[in-house]
Amino acid sequence: MADPGLQAAQEDGRTVLYATGSWVLANFGKFPSLAKLPAEAGVALDASGLDALDTSGAFKLMNNLREAGVEPASVEVRGLSDSLLPVWKLVAEHFPDVQKATERKPAGIIAQLGLGAINTFEHIVGFVDFAGRLAVESFRLAKGLRGFRGREFVAQMEAVFVYAIPISAMMIFLMGLVFAYLMGVQAQKFGANIYVVDGVAAAVLRELSPVIVAILVAGRTGAAITAQLGTMKVNEEIDALSVLGLSPYAVLVVPRILALFLALPLLVFLGDVAGLVGGLLVAKMQLGLEFSQYWERLDSVLQMTTFMVGVGKAPVFAVFIGLIACRMGMTVARDARSVGLNTTSTVVQSIVAVIVLDAAFAIAFVELDI
Amino acid sequence: MDEIVIQAKDVVTRLGNALIHDGVSMRVQRGQVVALIGGSGSGKSVLLKEIIGLIRPRSGSIDLFGKDVWAASEAELMRLRRRFGVLFQDGALFSSLTVEQNVAAPLREHTELPLKDCLQLARLKISMVGLPPSACPKMPSELSGGMRKRAALARALALDPELLFLDEPTSGLDPISARAFDRLIRLLSDSLGLTVFLVTHDLDTLLAMVDSIIVLAGGKVLGQGTVEDLKKIDEPWLRDYFSARYVEEHA
Repeated sequence: MADPGLQAAQEDGRTVLYATGSWVLANFGKFPSLAKLPAEAGVALDASGLDALDTSGAFKLMNNLREAGVEPASVEVRGLSDSLLPVWKLVAEHFPDVQKATERKPAGIIAQLGLGAINTFEHIVGFVDFAGRLAVESFRLAKGLRGFRGREFVAQMEAVFVYAIPISAMMIFLMGLVFAYLMGVQAQKFGANIYVVDGVAAAVLRELSPVIVAILVAGRTGAAITAQLGTMKVNEEIDALSVLGLSPYAVLVVPRILALFLALPLLVFLGDVAGLVGGLLVAKMQLGLEFSQYWERLDSVLQMTTFMVGVGKAPVFAVFIGLIACRMGMTVARDARSVGLNTTSTVVQSIVAVIVLDAAFAIAFVELDI
Repeated sequence: MDEIVIQAKDVVTRLGNALIHDGVSMRVQRGQVVALIGGSGSGKSVLLKEIIGLIRPRSGSIDLFGKDVWAASEAELMRLRRRFGVLFQDGALFSSLTVEQNVAAPLREHTELPLKDCLQLARLKISMVGLPPSACPKMPSELSGGMRKRAALARALALDPELLFLDEPTSGLDPISARAFDRLIRLLSDSLGLTVFLVTHDLDTLLAMVDSIIVLAGGKVLGQGTVEDLKKIDEPWLRDYFSARYVEEHA
């Protein structure tokens, strides 16, 4: 392929440009530029020396003409072969559009602030709206129980609860272990080894187990719910359900939130047991406490309220995680990017919700002397 | 110009236990618009994917521009890929990029051009497929189905290919948009001297813009020729295929 060339010559008082070689995309970097031309007398383009021309080459040629001060449309073209003429014509027809293409300007900082506020407001309104619709659907279900999807509920329980047992028990076991170890190091200095039991029991049952399990479920199940419902939305499966006369809330949302509602307290309970076992191992190995001593101390200091506070927080966390995950899933737009964005958003929102709720609970319990 | 652009020889394909192609042979000449038709499940789309190097056939060879796709080295394959464009069935635009970034993507990957030139060439292609300049900064999700197809066509044309593959170009379009899309493809292929290979169900497309038709049935090529040629073949599926059209016109 010959390199592209462009020579200007004066003939009969006007400028004639001789284009030669291959004006194709592969040669894009080698296209010669053009000095300013006097446009008044008219300009002609002689293309008889042209070997090849594609749309990119034709575009560049026109762009060079424009930069040299000549409108491409006013140029007389001659000598272009029959096979290349349509290419030139096609590009000439669409060349003006390229300059017209609009840039989308990024919004100014004030506008962005305003948009952010509007989005947040709409998000909160949407969330309340979603919770309301869900409540109405739940009452309708509770009246008849006919539309309830038992099979879906069981499948969700399996996914949310059964498969989460090993990982959540493992994590709280390690938490109890670490917590007992660190407390033990301090307690040993005062010869107060036995009080480690008090600390582990309170910390694991009241805070560690509910919060850690809730965060785990938010990441694990929350993300799964959003991704699944979102993909169903993209596939129009949710529309298909509505057309069948089924409520997507009854079929998809209620079983998921109910499964979370029941699974989370159970997971927290299993976490409690695992955390206490972790503490027990440290007490035995590091602090020299016997199993029986640990057990007796636990029996005498552990109050039912401590346990109930931890397990009682779990369903509240569960409902928030479920609401956020289902709503983010149902509001996915019809593309892959949106599924990813909403899934991320679910995890962030539900973890924040869990921590904020936990803080609110902590303050409320202190005020109530629980 | 009798150059063969696509040539398949004795292609056999199995997916799982199903025998999809049982010795498919066909060829496409430069500058022609060739359609591949066949019933659902006859392996049209699979053959298309084998030609563009996405699915490996069990045996047989597929040549593009005289090079065996499945024996080519990665570098040769890369050079081949610059010479053809593909329009996927639902457009397959990247949903995280704007329309002009989508069209500029092949230019950015395959050439060393600066971003400004890539975007300008992208805008030219977008205009060529009949989209307004205001479509350039939009996201694919903001476009209608017909516009998305056009944007995807612009991306397929980004590298000024010699060969264009279209997978069901008019599916999901209303008849008016579908005919407009047919005309657009014919105009572009005539102007730019493109070879076009398309998979389609659309009889109107076949009648309006196709030079030659390849019929795939029962894992084999049943015939290749114009609509008139194919009407002469006595085969139940083909008879039904064209008589459906006849009933439609005379009902």
